[in-house]
Amino acid sequence: MPALRELQRALGRALLAEAVTGAPAELAPAELALPSQLLAIYRNTCLGALTGALALSFPAVRRLVGSGFFETAAQEFIRTHPPTSACLNDYGQQFAAFLAQFPQAAQLTYLADVARLEWAVNRALHAPDVPGLQVQLLAGLHAAVVASLRFVPHPAVSVLRLDTPADAIWHAVLDQDQAAIAALDPAAGPVWLLIERCAGSVQVRRLTPAAWQFTQRLCAGEPLQAALSEAACANHAGEELNAVLNALLADHLASARFTGWIGEGTS
Amino acid sequence: MLDSSDSQGQAGSISAAAGIGLRFPHHEQVLQTRPDVPWFEVHAENYFGGGAVRRTLEAVRRDYPLSLHGVGLSLGSAEGLDLSHLQRLAELTQAIEPGLVSEHLSWSVTGGHYLADLLPLPMTEEALEVVCRHVQQTQERLKRPILLENPSSYLQFEHSSIPEWEFLGAVARRTGCGILCDLNNIFVSASNHGWDPLTYLDALAAQAIGEYHLAGHSVCTLEDARVLRIDNHGSPVSPEVWALYEQALERFGPRPTLIEWDTDIPAFEVLLDQAAQAAERLRASRGDCPHARAA
Repeated sequence: MPALRELQRALGRALLAEAVTGAPAELAPAELALPSQLLAIYRNTCLGALTGALALSFPAVRRLVGSGFFETAAQEFIRTHPPTSACLNDYGQQFAAFLAQFPQAAQLTYLADVARLEWAVNRALHAPDVPGLQVQLLAGLHAAVVASLRFVPHPAVSVLRLDTPADAIWHAVLDQDQAAIAALDPAAGPVWLLIERCAGSVQVRRLTPAAWQFTQRLCAGEPLQAALSEAACANHAGEELNAVLNALLADHLASARFTGWIGEGTS
Repeated sequence: MLDSSDSQGQAGSISAAAGIGLRFPHHEQVLQTRPDVPWFEVHAENYFGGGAVRRTLEAVRRDYPLSLHGVGLSLGSAEGLDLSHLQRLAELTQAIEPGLVSEHLSWSVTGGHYLADLLPLPMTEEALEVVCRHVQQTQERLKRPILLENPSSYLQFEHSSIPEWEFLGAVARRTGCGILCDLNNIFVSASNHGWDPLTYLDALAAQAIGEYHLAGHSVCTLEDARVLRIDNHGSPVSPEVWALYEQALERFGPRPTLIEWDTDIPAFEVLLDQAAQAAERLRASRGDCPHARAA
């Protein structure tokens, strides 16, 4: 009699195999005559549910490649990257990287970028609700302390730099806007994006390179002063940009893009 | 044992009435029209995150009792429960205060991978111990009893030594959990494996039954001409399953009853009609059943 753990491992392998080739020997004799057909039912349910979950999270990718191609790519992805959580809203983090390496999609240079954007949109939709940091707590801190703070980004916030104008492609494809699709130029990149949840709906915004670099460094947990000076330095700008970035920081704080900070008086 | 009557009268409790499985295509309609439905059931995992989806659930909960139905805890996994999954279920349970919480007698996780289906367990002493341990662990974490749903299955294991109905009853006795008696699943499995569905019902203890599920299934023919029933929740409740529901009502009395529809989801009115048919049978059973309570 097989131990339960081994039986489950064997069935798991059979469900995620490239094709149903046979059944584990532990099935009842009546079933052994038809192992592949019975296993195929479970396999179809498993692959169908996971393909459906990916289709929900990556609707523009699916429209771009068509449902047949999407299913092929999704099933290959499912077999090589099965979900590690039963919460399917969390499934698909590596799909963009997978598509970037998927030989059949090599010609679609923008496809992986659209998938990166859709994953960020998915995070913005489903990330847990976390209150933003209380700005008034910052007011009590010494300026030198504020300069050294490392902010914790809200889980719904993403910053993406994409080589292709994936945001324009994403909008046009989901809106099925034929004029906009015709006007798309996949070479018209790169774009610097901020993706977040505002009042329950997802917003995708383009930032200037300097604003994006500053925001990206803050979200990566760099100290405030370091993020400010490096963004300014990279953009060869002085006081004027500094004022813009400080205004942007105020907007980040007011928009609850950070949930706390690490540093003195950790929030 | 969890008796449906225990929670009568408490806020959010679910009466022995016919509720509907709430799915995304109907969210907007339910929020806009607040239909006359006694309670809704939702799949817990769909609400583990925040944002607009969670706001919808909270809005529905303000007006209706809710049942949280888990599909991913994998109580039958030999490798133990995913504690972060259990934690998220506990947080949702605490936030939503559902009238009922349920899961399945099945497994979905092996080697750290979620297989996105309710897979059949071998009915062995080892599996019984695994399931009992995990039901207890879940109930301790949630600080409340859960209902365990009988599965539908297409294959059995040669080394199974316990009939499924005895296995289910043993889990209920050992852990104090209730039973979510899915009549479509009983009919589907009985048909696929050559069991007598009434033998199944006769083996269950009335006081353990906390809820009924009703759904449609499909029928396919295998290469050897054998007919296989597939539990796809994509059609109206079949006449045979309605008849089995009546048998269950006769044996166990009225309980909260759910209409489930998950593939090719129809207009909400179709679900209302199915629920009305269940409600009619609940009413009739109250007239017949000496232990009936007013809903």
